[in-house]
Formats: sequence, structure tokens, C-alpha cells
Amino acid sequence: MLWVDKYRPKTLDRVIVHEEVAQNLKKLAAEQDCPHLLFHGPSGSGKKTLIMALLREMFGPSADKVKVENQTWKVDAGTRNIDVELTTLASSHHVEMNPADAGFQDRYVVQEVIKEMAKNRPIDTKGKKGFKVLVLNEVDKLSREAQHSLRRTMEKYSASCHLILCCNSSSKVTEAVRSRCLNVRISAPTDNEIVKVLEFIGKKEGLNLPAGFALRLAEKSNRSLRRAILLFETCRVQQYPFSSNQAIPAMDWEEYVMEIASDIMKEQSPKRLFQVRGKLYELLTNCIPAEIILKRLLYELLKKLDSELKHEVSYWAAYYEHRMRLGQKSIFHLEAFVAKFMSIYKGFLIATFG
Amino acid sequence: MKQHDKGAGNGNTPKPKAVEKPSSAVPQSDNLVVGGQDSSGRRRTSKYFADKEKKEVEGLPEKRKSETADLRASPAKKVNKNKNEDDEDFVLSTTKKVSADVTPSKKLKSGSGRAVAKKSEELDESGEDDIKEMKSNSKASERGRGGRTGKTAPGGRKKMVIDDESDEDEPDDKTSQSVKPGGRGRGGRGSSTASTGGRGRGSGGRGGFMNFGERKDPPHKGEKEIPEGASDCLAGFTFVISGTLDSLEREEAEDLIKRHGGRVTGSVSKKTNFLLCDEDIEGQKSRKAKELGTAFLTEDGLLDMIRKSNKSNTTKSEELKKPVDKVLPSPKKTYPSSAAKNQVGGLPSKSTVAKGSGTGITSAKTKSQATEQSLLPWTEKYRPKVPNDIVGNQSLVKQLHDWLLNWNDQFLNSGSKSKGKKQNDSGAKKAVLLSGTPGIGKTTSAKLVSQMLGFKAVEVNASDNRGKADSKIEKGIGGSTANSIQVLVTNEAISNKIDRSEHQKTVLIMDEVDGISAGDRGGVSDLIANIKTSKIPIICICNDRYSQKLKSLVNHCLLLSFRKPTKQQMAKRLLHIANAEGLQVNEIALEELAERVNGDMRMALNQLQYMSLSMSVIKYDDIRQRLQGSSKDEDISPFTAVDKLFGFNSGKLRMDERIDLSMSDPDLVPLLIQENYINYRPSSVGKDDNGLKRMSSIARAAESIADGDIFNVQIRRYRQWQLSQSSVLSSCIIPAALLHGQRETLEQGERNFNRFGGWLGKNSTMGKNYRLLEDMHVHLLASRDSYLGRSNLRLDYFTPLVKHLTEPLRVLPKDEAVEKVVEFMDSYSISQEDFDTAVELSKFKGRPTPMDGIQPAVKAALTKAYNKGSSSRVIRTADMVTLPGVKKVLRKRVAAMLEPVEESLAEDNGEPLEENENSDAEDLEDRETAEEKLQSDLADLKLKGIEVQVDLKGSGSSSAGKASSGRGRGRSRGSSDSAEKKVGGGRGSGSASKRKR
Repeated sequence: MLWVDKYRPKTLDRVIVHEEVAQNLKKLAAEQDCPHLLFHGPSGSGKKTLIMALLREMFGPSADKVKVENQTWKVDAGTRNIDVELTTLASSHHVEMNPADAGFQDRYVVQEVIKEMAKNRPIDTKGKKGFKVLVLNEVDKLSREAQHSLRRTMEKYSASCHLILCCNSSSKVTEAVRSRCLNVRISAPTDNEIVKVLEFIGKKEGLNLPAGFALRLAEKSNRSLRRAILLFETCRVQQYPFSSNQAIPAMDWEEYVMEIASDIMKEQSPKRLFQVRGKLYELLTNCIPAEIILKRLLYELLKKLDSELKHEVSYWAAYYEHRMRLGQKSIFHLEAFVAKFMSIYKGFLIATFG
Repeated sequence: MKQHDKGAGNGNTPKPKAVEKPSSAVPQSDNLVVGGQDSSGRRRTSKYFADKEKKEVEGLPEKRKSETADLRASPAKKVNKNKNEDDEDFVLSTTKKVSADVTPSKKLKSGSGRAVAKKSEELDESGEDDIKEMKSNSKASERGRGGRTGKTAPGGRKKMVIDDESDEDEPDDKTSQSVKPGGRGRGGRGSSTASTGGRGRGSGGRGGFMNFGERKDPPHKGEKEIPEGASDCLAGFTFVISGTLDSLEREEAEDLIKRHGGRVTGSVSKKTNFLLCDEDIEGQKSRKAKELGTAFLTEDGLLDMIRKSNKSNTTKSEELKKPVDKVLPSPKKTYPSSAAKNQVGGLPSKSTVAKGSGTGITSAKTKSQATEQSLLPWTEKYRPKVPNDIVGNQSLVKQLHDWLLNWNDQFLNSGSKSKGKKQNDSGAKKAVLLSGTPGIGKTTSAKLVSQMLGFKAVEVNASDNRGKADSKIEKGIGGSTANSIQVLVTNEAISNKIDRSEHQKTVLIMDEVDGISAGDRGGVSDLIANIKTSKIPIICICNDRYSQKLKSLVNHCLLLSFRKPTKQQMAKRLLHIANAEGLQVNEIALEELAERVNGDMRMALNQLQYMSLSMSVIKYDDIRQRLQGSSKDEDISPFTAVDKLFGFNSGKLRMDERIDLSMSDPDLVPLLIQENYINYRPSSVGKDDNGLKRMSSIARAAESIADGDIFNVQIRRYRQWQLSQSSVLSSCIIPAALLHGQRETLEQGERNFNRFGGWLGKNSTMGKNYRLLEDMHVHLLASRDSYLGRSNLRLDYFTPLVKHLTEPLRVLPKDEAVEKVVEFMDSYSISQEDFDTAVELSKFKGRPTPMDGIQPAVKAALTKAYNKGSSSRVIRTADMVTLPGVKKVLRKRVAAMLEPVEESLAEDNGEPLEENENSDAEDLEDRETAEEKLQSDLADLKLKGIEVQVDLKGSGSSSAGKASSGRGRGRSRGSSDSAEKKVGGGRGSGSASKRKR
């Protein structure tokens, strides 16, 4: 088992990084009227861990007993019937799902499925809690309509069903939904916190972890605890007696994006654009989300770019990312960005060096 | 104007001698005027002239002089200005060529060209006598003219053949002579069209991407001014372009030629008049051309030909008179080259001349005729009277004829009992179904054939009610057509019992059967019933054979699919009719008409009749103009549409044309455009040394394509269909407008065709991979140790995961590695398939794959070990049971059983369904101990476990349903408790989730 999972804190008490938040949550769980919660923060900061620990705090160990199901719902959408298929992770007390997986039909998931679940009061034999919890992941990926239909559900059935929403960016969640929740900001752990966790794991595993190396891992992880631990373990597999200047491998897709970035910087021509398109396709078909690609690509490009271009390029990246969300075929927008960059950069090169 | 040209031609023709003194001042203009074309043509004819018509020739120089002076005045200057020094070289060479014998050795081109020319001359001379042998290429123009004379000169002749062999027809009177010029273009064209027409057009359109190799840019791209010439000054000439031209892209040159009425073909043949090339690359084309004696033409020569025509346009009026005097006395044969020359510049005037004299006679004569019977529309008037008149599809008509002829023998004369059997015979259907687009003569041929065989045709068409026959007798026979049909069909008395030999036989023509069911309930089935019992032949006619309505009918009929007649076939017939009506139309125009109406003879005739009301001479341009809007919709493939949008001339397309093109398939065209727009080198950009302009055009195009995507979302998701025009505009038209030009390849070995849009394929791969990833994600979640989201799984987990899965296999000894990996897989309940998924998704093109360096033996061992252990797996998903016969029936019904093991130990008694709902709280510690217990249990029962597995497989493959799970459970009950529970668990969850739905 990977260390990330092995050393995941199972209870709120054992949480190392966001101790304060954990204590507040614990108090919250002790009270009966727990409000809707919205966890937001960058990935790898511990949202999910906290949520699971919170559930355990609320319902006891039975919250851990989950079953995974792939369910299909038949939704009557006026003129036609739609089959919505979703994977849910459910215990007797809570249901966890990712409504954004339904794509453009997410509205129906929210309108029908979630409402249906929220309506039914849990049949709780022990009678401990009079409500159940619905955990919705990636709320920020929900379409606007779905979010709108969510807010009524949140109010109407709040007695029997508590929602825990989880997302990366709260700015993509509509105001209305945000105001109905208690917002819990889970910030990314600082490098020091990460080092602390790494040292904790190292101790448990009985490893000798040089301090400098732990710090490098933390830096490399970009303040994502999950990634830091994963990197740590990867390094462990690669070479055990750690040396503080040991090479830290990047993620496979990151390396690939890096390659694309240097391709773009080296040559700006239709031919190169065509090759880049092939590589972008390769990333997309390997299930790398387009937004992540664009972000990473910009990051890599900025590293190599003259400072006077940085602003303009960032502007265009934001511009195309926005449009990518409006559109559907993300490759078009990625390609448009690359083409734009090439034309800007080429113009710049010619203007500077003739 | 034509006269002027003729003058020029004549003037030049005698010239060889005059020009032979390499005059340095004049040659330039001379050369400009006629270029390479002249060099051979003139020489060729010069001999000819010298032999036959010296007198005539000598009279001309004066005229020529005036003309050349004329010409020199402006175009020469212009060209001079345009030319830079490099060109001068080139010019010199051509001059040399013109000025006969200077140096054959120096310039290979000129030398050989001349040689060839001479050869062809000789040929010509012999050919002159032997009319039938007149096929030498260099003579095309002359022949054309001769041909035309044959055709048009005898103005009164009604029936004219397109390709005439009457080369030697001597024009003997004034009228014919003056008509000649008009017809000349036509004839010349006619002879070449007939055979090269189709090919020329085909290859002309594709010319852009027929050339696979990279061609160099023209050295002086865009530096020359392209002259505006008379619209058909090149009519009748066939060009072949070879190599790189001096300033024009090949597409530009093609367009230029086409615009002026010439033809461009892909390869040199006997019909080719000119080989357009600026440098002799000794390719196949030039070799062939030399063989055939085709004239070589330089780009400048071409431009001059065009320019000259324009020039003559302006001077047309004054010159009009001259040529008449000149031409009159001369017998036709003396003007072989002047004919050619005429075609170059003189065509615009031909119609006027023709109008002046030719039509004067012919139309006057025919008009009186026409008025007599002009009450009838032409479509009726010229409806074919005998089957042979039908344009095209003769073989089908013959088939119909045979079928009808044998009908009686086959179905009536044989014993009535064997009828049923007969129907199964291959050749013997009782009815026939004619299908084809409107206006190609289906009804006509049906009627004609029956008429010819003496059948009386009863026609029932959409104007009659064709519903199901009313069974109630009270309405009587006359009640509905259907009833009368039934009577007609079944009643032998009417059809043939009464003395068959004397009485007229009857045939039923069911017209427009594909429109039958609109208001006619049960029409088709009734028709089929009628066909079965019919005692008379039935001919059904429809437009769309594949219509859903006719599906059942098709089985009962002999199918004859009419094809559209070719445009040549149509033009021939149209010409015939036009002549009968006293209409002056040239054949190119008619071909254009035929093409525009897309094979619909009826429409063509209607158009023709309409036009005849306002004009008696119809030119190519008239038809173009008239039919521009009214041309029928035709199906264009997305590829053709993209070709056209990106084509060299797409800048000249009108907006609605572009929209039509893009709308031809609003889903595919944008994808094709997106896939290919990078490949085009925009012609609108002009000079672009470093490709910056191109790059920014591409960026703009890419943005516009992305706009299109956004529009598309609005359209599809929010049903804003009113945006479809904007969508098309931004996803197709703007990118095409920015980047249209010549296509180039980006990768080595790529074929220079538009690729199919890659998005569809990639998107489906992506969908598949997401599904696989989701499966894996579910399995991982099922292991209850991680709660990560799907994207995080891919982004963060994958690299270490894959490393954990593959690294040991690479470095550790086999057994140890396998054990370790299997253990790891089990801890995350990763299945063999997930393993493959992980490896697959970590592959990036151009980077080492994670499985590199792993021995196949190790892989096999891993699989083996995994399968061996699979029986002991506690957490099972239904789809892990891969069945040998059945493939993934259960794929979607994934449901991982997650109940703690000890629960099942304690409570599960073959009731797996209950298990899922079980929600008793248990402590973790308990579970752990229970797990351990189970492990030891399993170790003991391994053998039995495997047995159970086998059982499962057997039952699973029979059918994947509840029954199977039940049976599996039932059978396994015999084995030990734990084994049963396992099986039950795995199965149960599968069926449980199923039942829920």
C-alpha cells in the first residue's frame, strides 16, 4: 500500500497539518445541527481526508464501511428519458458522488438523483442521527444550471440531509451555493508542514531522511501534501540511502508537458504546431484534464520566457482557459493558445533579433 | 477584334523569314505577343503557307505591322516594366526560339521544340491529304477549325454531329466563311472536349493536390501583373502545366487559363495544345510533349496571349471590317494557323459575327417553323419518340424492353399453377422498378417501350388516389383508382382474354411510387398484392430506391436504376434540339448547362426554352449567369467542400457559396478544417519571408475555430440553432478565408490530401480511457484506503503506482518481483485489466513505455500468479470474472463488494443481497482478526476455491443474469462455507445492483 494511504489520518485527532480546522470540525460534529459545508482548497491539501475523518467522527466506524456502486438512474427530462450513470460510494450514513461526471447532464443528476436522495430520510436503526450526509465532489465542475438547481435542494431538505461539498476553487461555485454553506478553506500546507509530515512518515518507516532532502521534496511537490508523500515514496523505491541532492522524478505527464513547452520555444512553425497538436492529443487521451495541461504549459513557458512577454502570454492563457470552459472540444482551445503563443513569440524574436 | 487577331496571326505566319534576322528591338514585343506558342505554331504554318498560299500571305504584312505596333504600345511596355533582369535572360531565349534557326544547341528547349515542330509539320502535310489520319497533335487547333467548318458552315444542316470527321469540307460561300470564326472556338473546343473533357475537369479541379512532391515557390512570385483578357480568349486550347513557372503558382496559372476558357489537363496527350513550362525539367511531360510535338509555351507567352485578347477587345470595332475582306477570298485551308490565332484572341467577337451573318439565315428559317408549334413546351415537343432517342441508359431501356417482351410468355402462357414457382426465378419478377433522379427519362422510357411493344399504357401517378382498394363493392369500380387498378390487374377479360392477338395488351405504369403513402393508406402493400396476382405487367417508377417506404416493394420487383446521362450525351441532344429551334448555342455552353442542371434533361430543356425567348444566341456566360442561382443542390462530400473552401480561388467565392459549402455537413466540415488548416500556405499573405504572417494568420484562424466550438456548445446544449450561421462562419469560413492557398505537407511521407478530422477518433479514445480509468478508480475506492478523485488518480497517483507495479518486475528476481507486485495489486484491489490500463495510460508517444525492459517471461509469471491468487481475493468486482465466451457483459454493472469479511462469515448464508444492506457497526480490530482467520481458511481451501471458480465460469457463460448467479451459488453450496460465501458475495453484489435498477 502506498504511504499516502497508509499514513492517512483516520480520525480528526490524528490530523497533523490542519489541526485547528480539525478541532473546529470536531466541535461541529458534536453538535446536532451541523450546517452544510463547503471545503475548498487546492488539491493535495487534505480536504478529502478531513471529510472522511469528519464522517467518522459523526457516525463512528460504520462510516468507513462503504460500498462502491455504479448506478444508473432513469431521469425523465420532459421530452425524453435520460439514463444517467454514476459511481457512488455509500455507507449507511452517507453517499458520496461526483455529479460532474455526468457531463452536460449534470443538471439532471442534481435535479433528480440528489433530490431523491435528500428527500428520503435515512432509516437509522440505531437512531443516533436523524440525517444523512451527501458528499459531492468537484462542485466547481458543475455547470451553472446544476448549481442553480442545487441551491433549492439545499434549503428544502436541510433537515434530513446535510451536504458536504468539496471543490478546488470556490470562485467557480456560485454565490448562492456558497452563501448556503459554511465555507471551510483548506489551504495548501506550507513547506514546513510538509517536511513535518514527511519526517513523521520517515520515522514510522524507520528511514533516515536528510532534512535538506525533505525540504527539496516539499518544494518540488508544489505544496501538495499528497504529491510530496508520493514523491517521497517514489524516491524511496528509486534509491534508499537518501542523499540530499538526489534527483526527484517528475510526474510522467509533467515531463511530457515540459517537452511540449521546449518544442514550442525552439521553433514556431506550422509544422511544429502540428506536432504539438499530436502531443496535446496524446495528453488528452491519457486522461489529463485540459485545464491542467494549459496551466502547466503556461508554467513551463513562463519559466523560459522573457519578462516583457510574460504578462501578455499569461493574459492569453487565461483568455483561452476561460473559453475552454465555455466550449467543449478542449483541443481547439489548447491549440489556439499554442498558435497564439507561437505568433507572439515569433514576432518578438524577429523584432528583437531581426 | 477577332479580325485583328487573325491579322496578327497572319501577319506573323509569314514571318519566319522576316523574324529570322534576330532583331533586337522588335523581338521583345513580338515574343511578348505570341510567346512560345507562336514559335511552333508559326513555324509550322509557315511552311504550310509558303507551300500553299504565298499570295495570301504576302498581302498581309502591312496589317501585321499596324497591329504589332499597336500591341507594342502598351502591353509590351507594361511587361517590360514588370520584368526584372533575371527575366531578360529568359526572354532572350524565347526570342531566339522565335527567331528561327539561331542556336538549336544552346537552349535545349528551343532546339528540341523546333525539331518537333518540324516533324509535326511533315506529319501535317501528309495528314492534309489523308483526312482520316489527321491526328497529329500540333494540329489540334487547325483541326478544330476545320471541324467546325464542317459543322457550322453548312448553316442549314439540322443534324449535326459533335465530333466531325469532315475535316476537308471546304467553305465555299461567304456565309459559311463568316460563320466559321464563330464556330471555330466551338469546334476546336468540341473536338477536345469530347474526349478530354471529363478528364480535364477532373484533374483540373484536383490539380492542387495531385502533386505529391514539394514544389518550389516560383522565383518571382507575385511580381508580374496578371492581365485581364477577354473571357474566352483561350477557348479551345488544352494546356498542361509542368514544373515551376516564373511568377505564377501552378494553381494561379490553372485558374488563369480556366478563367479565359482554356482547359488544363494533368498529362500530355494528343489533344494537348500547349505545354506550359518555364524551365525544361526533362520530366515525363516534356518528353511526351516533344514526342507528340506539342507546342511549348512560357508563362510570359501565356500572359501575352491573354493580354493580346484584351488589346484586341478595344480595337475591335475598327478591325471588324478588315478581316472580312481578307478572309473572303481565301479558301479555308489556307488559314490553319490563323484559325488558331483567332481562337487566342478573337473569340469574343465570334458571336457578333455569328449573329451578323450566321443566324441571319438559320434562325430566320427556323423561326418560322418554330412559331408553328411553339405552343408545346419543349419538354413535350422533344420528348423522345423512339427508345433510341432516350439520352443515356440505353442498356437499361433494352433490359426493360426485354422484360416486357417476355412478360407474357413467362407469366401467362405457362401453366397458372407454376406461377408461384416462377416468381422465384432470378430473372423473372412480375414487376419492374425504375429508379433515378428526376428528369432523366424514366417515365418516358417506360412509356416508349410499352408503346413500341404495342402495350397500352395505363398510367397511375401521384395525382390519383392510390390507397388501399376498398373492399366494399358498393363504391363500384369507379369509386377509386385503386379499385380500378385491382380490376384492371386481375381481370383478364380486360387485359388479354379477349383475343390476345388482336386486342391491345395493357401495361400498368405506377408512377412516383415513393410518394405513395402520404395520403394513400396501405398503398404499397396493396400494390404488392396486386403484383402477385397481376395478369398484366406493372412498371413502378420512383426517385429514391432506398426509401424506407419501398423496402417491401423492392423484393418484388426487377430493379433498374437509371443513371444520369453524361454531360456530353446531354449536350449532344440539347444541341440537336437547339438547332431544330434555330438557336445558336455552342457546345461548351450546352455542356455547362448539362452540368449545371445535374443531369436533369427536363430542367435543361426548360431553361433552354426560357432563354430562347430572350435571345437567339446563347453563350457560355449567359448560361453561367442564368443558372448560377438556380443550379440544383448537389451533394458534396465534406472533403470536396473543404477543398473548395481552402482552394486557391476560394477568395472569389461568394459568401453564400461559402456558407453552402460549410453547411453541406456542419459537423464534419469544421472538423476537417480544424485538422487541416495548418497545412495551407495562405496565398493572401503575399511575401512572407520568415513565416510570421502565416503564423499570425494561423493564430487567428485557431482562435476563430475555438469560437466555433463555443458557438457549437450554445447550439447543442441550449438549442440556439439560430447561431448556426455564426458557428459556420467562425469555424469554417474565417479560417478558410485566412489560410486558403496551396496545401503543403508537414510530415515526411504524408500524402498531400486533407486528412480526416482527428478529433473524432481521439475523442473516442479519450472516452474509452476515461472509462477504463473510472473502472480502476472504482477498484481503488473499493479498497477503502483512498478517497481520491479520478483526476487526482491520474495526475498524482499514476506515476508512483506504475512505478510500484513495474519497477520490481524490472529489477528484482522473477519470483520475488511477482510476489511483490501481486501483493501490491491486491492491496489496492487492482485487477489485471487495471494493470494494463495503468500501463496504457502512462504511455506517451515518443517516450519509453513503462513496460520496456520487462521480460515477457516475467509478465507471464505475473499473470499466472495473479490468476492463481484471484480465488482468494476478498474484494471482488463482478467484472473481474472474465468469461471465456462472453465478453464483458457485466462491464457496466460494476459493483464492488465492500462488506467486511467477518460480517459475511458471521451472517452470510447464501443471502448476499441482505449483505449489502447490512449496516451493523463493527470495530476495525475485529475485522482485522477476521481477515486473518479467513486467510488461513482460504489457504486450506484453496483447491476447493479453484473448483468454485470453475463452476462460476461455467454458469456465467451460459447467461449473465440472475439465474446464473443463482445457479452458481447453488452449485457452490456443496463446497465449504467460506468458498460459498465468497462466490455468493461476488455474484450477489452484481445481481443486487442489477435488481436495484
